[in-house]
Amino acid sequence: MSYELDWSVLWSGQSGGWLLQGFLTTLEISTLGWVLAAALGALCGALRTVPLTILRCLAAGYVEFFRNVPLLVWMFFWYFGVSPLLPQVAREWLFDHGAEFWAAVFALGVYHGARFSEVIRAGIQSIPKTQLEAALSTGLTIAQAYRLIILPIAVRLIIPPATNETLNLIKNSSVALTIGVAELTFQTRQIETYTAKAFEALAAGTIIYLTLCLTIALLMARIEKRVAIPGMIGQGSAP
Amino acid sequence: MDFEVIVNNFAFLMAQGLFGFGTFAGGTLRLALPAIVLGFLLGTLVGLARLSQRRWLSLPATVYVEFFRGVPLVMVIFWFWFVVPVLAGQALPEYVVALTAFVVFEAAYLAEIVRAGIQSVPRGQVEAATATGLTSAMTMRHVILPQALRNMIPALVTQFIVLLKDTSLASIIGYVDLTKAAQIVNNREIRPFEIYLFIALVYWFCSYSMSRYARHLEIRLRAV
Amino acid sequence: MNRLLIVLIFALFNGLSDAGAETTLEKLDKNGTLVIGTRTGSPPFGYVNKKNEWVGFSIDLVEKAILPAVSKKLNKNIILEKKESAPATRIPLLQSNAVDLIAETMTDTQARREQVDFSLTFFVTGAQFLVKKGTPIKGIESIAGKRVAAQQGSTNARIIRERVPSAKLVEFPDQPAAFQALIQGQVQAYANDGIQLAGLKARAPKPDAWAVVGDFFSYEPYGMAMRKNESDFRHVVNVGLMDAIASGLYFEIYNKWFGPKAEIPYPLTTESKRFLQMQVVPK
Repeated sequence: MSYELDWSVLWSGQSGGWLLQGFLTTLEISTLGWVLAAALGALCGALRTVPLTILRCLAAGYVEFFRNVPLLVWMFFWYFGVSPLLPQVAREWLFDHGAEFWAAVFALGVYHGARFSEVIRAGIQSIPKTQLEAALSTGLTIAQAYRLIILPIAVRLIIPPATNETLNLIKNSSVALTIGVAELTFQTRQIETYTAKAFEALAAGTIIYLTLCLTIALLMARIEKRVAIPGMIGQGSAP
Repeated sequence: MDFEVIVNNFAFLMAQGLFGFGTFAGGTLRLALPAIVLGFLLGTLVGLARLSQRRWLSLPATVYVEFFRGVPLVMVIFWFWFVVPVLAGQALPEYVVALTAFVVFEAAYLAEIVRAGIQSVPRGQVEAATATGLTSAMTMRHVILPQALRNMIPALVTQFIVLLKDTSLASIIGYVDLTKAAQIVNNREIRPFEIYLFIALVYWFCSYSMSRYARHLEIRLRAV
Repeated sequence: MNRLLIVLIFALFNGLSDAGAETTLEKLDKNGTLVIGTRTGSPPFGYVNKKNEWVGFSIDLVEKAILPAVSKKLNKNIILEKKESAPATRIPLLQSNAVDLIAETMTDTQARREQVDFSLTFFVTGAQFLVKKGTPIKGIESIAGKRVAAQQGSTNARIIRERVPSAKLVEFPDQPAAFQALIQGQVQAYANDGIQLAGLKARAPKPDAWAVVGDFFSYEPYGMAMRKNESDFRHVVNVGLMDAIASGLYFEIYNKWFGPKAEIPYPLTTESKRFLQMQVVPK
């Protein structure tokens, strides 16, 4: 068996356009998924540290349930398992407006929300208790204390593990190809089926992912240095 | 909602999908267990290489780690699916392809855990060991690694949980793990909600038990 | 250090082009196994039945017609091994030596013949649409703007993309996912070869709720694919098929899967039967 490398397949024909489309779709699902995950993560991470047991348990339940199941199963579950349960009208609208895309966004967001919440929880718990006590003693309610004092500090502390989770989210967006989302990995397969050049197609996709991830990692390292709170020991670089 | 489909196919899902006994030669656990062991061995070598003073060891190790941590596992699986049989010159079962992909991928993450574990051993230990006349290699073998290992165990268990979930991606190349077995049953019976909920619970049970065990280990080891 | 890296990469690239210079027959002789790529969700060509056995028409053809021919040629007992393949993966699987023969539902086309070689045609059908009974979709003329599912890498996907660009095409990695999407309404039609759609319809929970519609919008002759430039292997495979057609074994197998008592009756037209018989060249 002989395999002849032919790099021109990447820019001749439709391949270049597909790679770009795939890259943009990956960015789209990742960004929307990230927003959902960050919101859920911040909420649940905070809830896991409040004095109210019932809220702590609810948040813990969410985290333990969604975190321990593979993302692929969640993709299938949200796309195939949940849509039949929606009312007919909602379903029709959803199917006409990219059901695959939204199922992927939800699966990513809810799954990574559970993981983000652990990162934020660790961040909050590393803030000395005295901060909260001081905040409360100035007359702020618990909610205000969290919103104005605790969370802003926590966010800066957790930049390394949060960056790690963000990169995980971007990489995990590739799983969406199993429910038909035309993201980057899907497009590298598409190029391969039209040109039979697997090595070149995979190489192109790999380089794009690597560039994206390394860029974000370097950017966040810079930001971390900028916003570091003098005197507070950070969480250190997460593995 | 009709859970009879789970009852009827329970044996297939669990025996073939989870454990790997039967004609399809698959199994989530059959993939995950060797992967973590071999991945740990490779990861330890890479982790030690990263800490080495010699640049010809530490540089490739760093490239290796940063590379595999910057690409999706799905891509890595596709790479191994096409490249491994070509390099080996012959056809290979999905199991071998999947196992190789997982070992190489997880080793990058395990290398970081090993590195963190070794770096968490107090410097005083190294100095004391050198003072008693142990060479660098002997220090690593008899003093640092045993302590580092103890520190790493919770992180290792956590990584095993991650690996267990990652094995679901092997279904993409046709390996009959729990997720693929569920798809096979679903294609016939068309009951996605019940079937995927069931395997979600099986995964959840496995992962959650392991994470409780990890927490238990963390407490026990910290007390020492 | 840098030079070493360059030499290693160079060796890797060279290795990729030179690896596996042996022919398929030599490989089969060495390993004693014929590895085929087939489907797990395309009844009745390759699928997993209620007893969780991996069976099908294409699989039977290999086992009963081709394998004996290969064993006879190599003078040893060759065993069959099955791997899963799908439109997007079958050619790579062949090219990487992971499988030796694709025995599923692959259409023989001129474009594909540039990448692989095909055996004789062993089944003839055409592309149609599977829809819920009663929908306004009647064929390729009526799918503009509608949501249509297809398998990534299939000829059907390509044709729809080229002929009806306004159709909202969703490509899934395999047939089961696409069929699921149709059942639940995420798409309004599923494009695939007529016989495969008939297979899905027959095994759906409520077969009468579905309809296979449209004239064949493509001609789909199925062949078994193998690596290029392997005329010896191809000859053996064709001899196997020809012997089966000549001796009637092919029609027995056909009857088992498509006969009146089978799950998906699909009678062989006189035209198709004649075509198959005329493929058998004299000894």
